[in-house]
Amino acid sequence: MLTRRHLLQKSAISGITLLAFENCLASQLIPAAPEGLGHSFEFLTPYDRGILSKLTPVILAEALPKSTEESGQAIKEVIVGWDNAVSGLPTLTQKEIRKLFSVLDSNFIFSLTPRLLTGVPEAWNDPSEIEDFLYSWYISDPESLITGNELRIGYMGLVELTMAVWYGNPRSWDFCGYAGPPDLL
Amino acid sequence: MNNLNEIIHDFVAEGFQRGWKHIDASQIAADQTLEADVVIAGSGAGGGNAAEILAQAGLNVIIVEEGPLQTSRDFHMKEDEAYSKLYQESASRYTKDRGIKIFQGRMVGGGTGINWTTSFRTPASTLNFWTKEMGVKGFSEDEMRPWFEWVEKRYNIRSWIVAPNANNNALEKGCAKQGISWGKIRRNVMGCLNLGYCGTGCPVNAKQSTLVTTIPGALKGGATLISKARAETFELKNDKIEVMTCRSMTPLGNAPAKHSINIKARHYVLAAGGIGSPAILMRSENKILNPYGLVGKRTFLHPVNVSGAIMPYPVNGEYGAPQTSYSNHYIETRLDNKKSGFSLECPPLQPMLVATNLEGHGKVHAEIMRQRPFLQVLIALQRDGFHPESIGGSVYLKTDGTPGLDYKVSGYVWKGIRDAFLVMAEIQFAAGAKAVSPVHRDATLYYSLNKVKKAIETLPMEILKARLFSAHVMGGCSMGEDTTKSVVNSKGRHHEVENLSVFDGSVFPTSIAANPMESIFATTAKFATELAKNLVS
Ligand SMILES: Cc1cc2nc3c(=O)[nH]c(=O)nc-3n(C[C@H](O)[C@H](O)[C@H](O)COP(=O)(O)OP(=O)(O)OC[C@H]3O[C@@H](n4cnc5c(N)ncnc54)[C@H](O)[C@@H]3O)c2cc1C
Ligand code: SF4
Repeated sequence: MLTRRHLLQKSAISGITLLAFENCLASQLIPAAPEGLGHSFEFLTPYDRGILSKLTPVILAEALPKSTEESGQAIKEVIVGWDNAVSGLPTLTQKEIRKLFSVLDSNFIFSLTPRLLTGVPEAWNDPSEIEDFLYSWYISDPESLITGNELRIGYMGLVELTMAVWYGNPRSWDFCGYAGPPDLL
Repeated sequence: MNNLNEIIHDFVAEGFQRGWKHIDASQIAADQTLEADVVIAGSGAGGGNAAEILAQAGLNVIIVEEGPLQTSRDFHMKEDEAYSKLYQESASRYTKDRGIKIFQGRMVGGGTGINWTTSFRTPASTLNFWTKEMGVKGFSEDEMRPWFEWVEKRYNIRSWIVAPNANNNALEKGCAKQGISWGKIRRNVMGCLNLGYCGTGCPVNAKQSTLVTTIPGALKGGATLISKARAETFELKNDKIEVMTCRSMTPLGNAPAKHSINIKARHYVLAAGGIGSPAILMRSENKILNPYGLVGKRTFLHPVNVSGAIMPYPVNGEYGAPQTSYSNHYIETRLDNKKSGFSLECPPLQPMLVATNLEGHGKVHAEIMRQRPFLQVLIALQRDGFHPESIGGSVYLKTDGTPGLDYKVSGYVWKGIRDAFLVMAEIQFAAGAKAVSPVHRDATLYYSLNKVKKAIETLPMEILKARLFSAHVMGGCSMGEDTTKSVVNSKGRHHEVENLSVFDGSVFPTSIAANPMESIFATTAKFATELAKNLVS
């Protein structure tokens, strides 16, 4: 007969195996972090970098260069730019961004917020799933009972920083018809 | 840029090479204690302006500035550099509920180093309101006129006769077609090359910011500038300030570093701007500094909403003086406060500013960015603080002692914002727009006036949906004669603490209802002249 003690033990064990399983799943699901153009990262973890590498093409869409090679390079630069930009923000803002990433990582070992609530994609490999997730954050309402404005605010943070980093980069200027600062000479 | 440096004479950098006194606090190796006649926290419109007047009166002045010392050779007209170095919180400061994005300068020169050079005297209607309703003395039109004249000379505020860029031209054209009054903006520039990069720091020292005018004036008069140091608190004894405590900042400037700088002075001047000045008083946690809990209250923003239009011709609003044309029609016709009044202006349109302040992402955002050269943009600035419902925001301290602003947009102002969306769309279509898009989460591009009109009627006027901005933080240390209703008197002197003054935009008891720089110059010139007289005699 299974005693209560047994049950507890059993669930503890399955908890551990589950964690191990998730760990191994995580290593498969997490997009590989692109290496950083020789940049030594101050803020972004490999996890964050992996997620940004998947989010960036969805956020910037046609604004990224067409060729795979160039867009790959552009994405790397966006990620390095993100790291630089966040490093210059006030400490409290950095903490908020850290929280945001931990929600985005919720698939993985740091299960802080149930994925169902946040709509964070199960796999970061399907651009349409990523778009759905981003869109759900984009239109999320303050009326939403549990998350309130948080998803909308998270959306704004992700999108604004990505836009800032990309359109501050001369590589984006052709696309948006910007000839750059005037030549004073 | 090297060759450029040979052509453009960076006289501010040279001044420091010749021996103007400057301490970069991020580089100091030990704690310091300094003494002065007057210490000024903040070097923006108010602080820089007052510093020269006080120093030239023979007083020993120390200016403490949280931001970096950067001069024309450091201004490369690059947005990524400028916003992170020269703006408060890397230009991503928001109100507490994220409803309004706030732009403020954080550099030697404060807001004047990165602002758009638009110069207006304080409107008579605002001065009258202060006199009649807010208990302010000495601010009648007649009493202020000499100060405006003085300021206009000192900062070379003149009519701008160069043709407007296409962005501003559309405002003029659209207003004229709509039968709405409009005017040309005066600017504080000298030898302006009409580049359009005022927002990233003027690379040719044409903009007459405090960085190139009154701060050098103060330094020539023997003042000491301390950059990358944050004024933290006042310590008091017998209701008088004994010391201002400051902390060095990291070289990057985003966080406090380890050294303290204590400054003892005969008189202490707060000029850390809206949000910044109240924060220092609040951090000091001394009842006498804030006996009625008014510090940080009534902080106003001129909340701004935005309308984008696609024109059939290239606009290229990144080039040419950013703001040269305006309309005050909806200020002047709404002075009875039955409806919230607003002024109309244009912003500069460099790509990073445009991209970060548009709604959305992906295909739609990219498409607008692709058409960016054809983009024309209007902004509407609400006249907050004149209606009983429009009480402004309150400054609060975050867990680490840095300040934030809790600002709830009143229903009254929201109505003005909706009206402004419509007025802007009408002007843009009248100026020939192919399509107009209110910057709002639920809006799209509308190809006819009728369609946009219909949409604007039902768009929810709510934060995080209608995108709101502010580059004008005012109030928080209101002036007035009633000691229970204001923080400082009509001379900028603290009501309770005799050796403390506030000389910046935070003394305004309402918003200005015009771009505030010239009002701050005039007000603080008046204050500082009086203080100098008192301290010297
Ligand atoms: C992008 C932009 C464009 C603008 N365009 C115009 C325009 O065209 N015309 C116009 O009239 N107005 C314009 N403004 C507004 C105008 O520049 C400001 O209203 C004005 O500069 C405010 O003056 P101030 O003295 O109150 O504060 P600021 O000029 O903001 O100066 C305050 C200074 O104090 C420093 N500080 C803050 N806290 C501390 C601390 N604890 N210790 C030490 N230092 C501290 C800040 O870093 C800052 O340098 C613009 C503002 C921005 C941001
Ligand atoms: S427009 Fe004139 S004042 Fe502004 S940055 Fe260019 S040269 Fe300087």
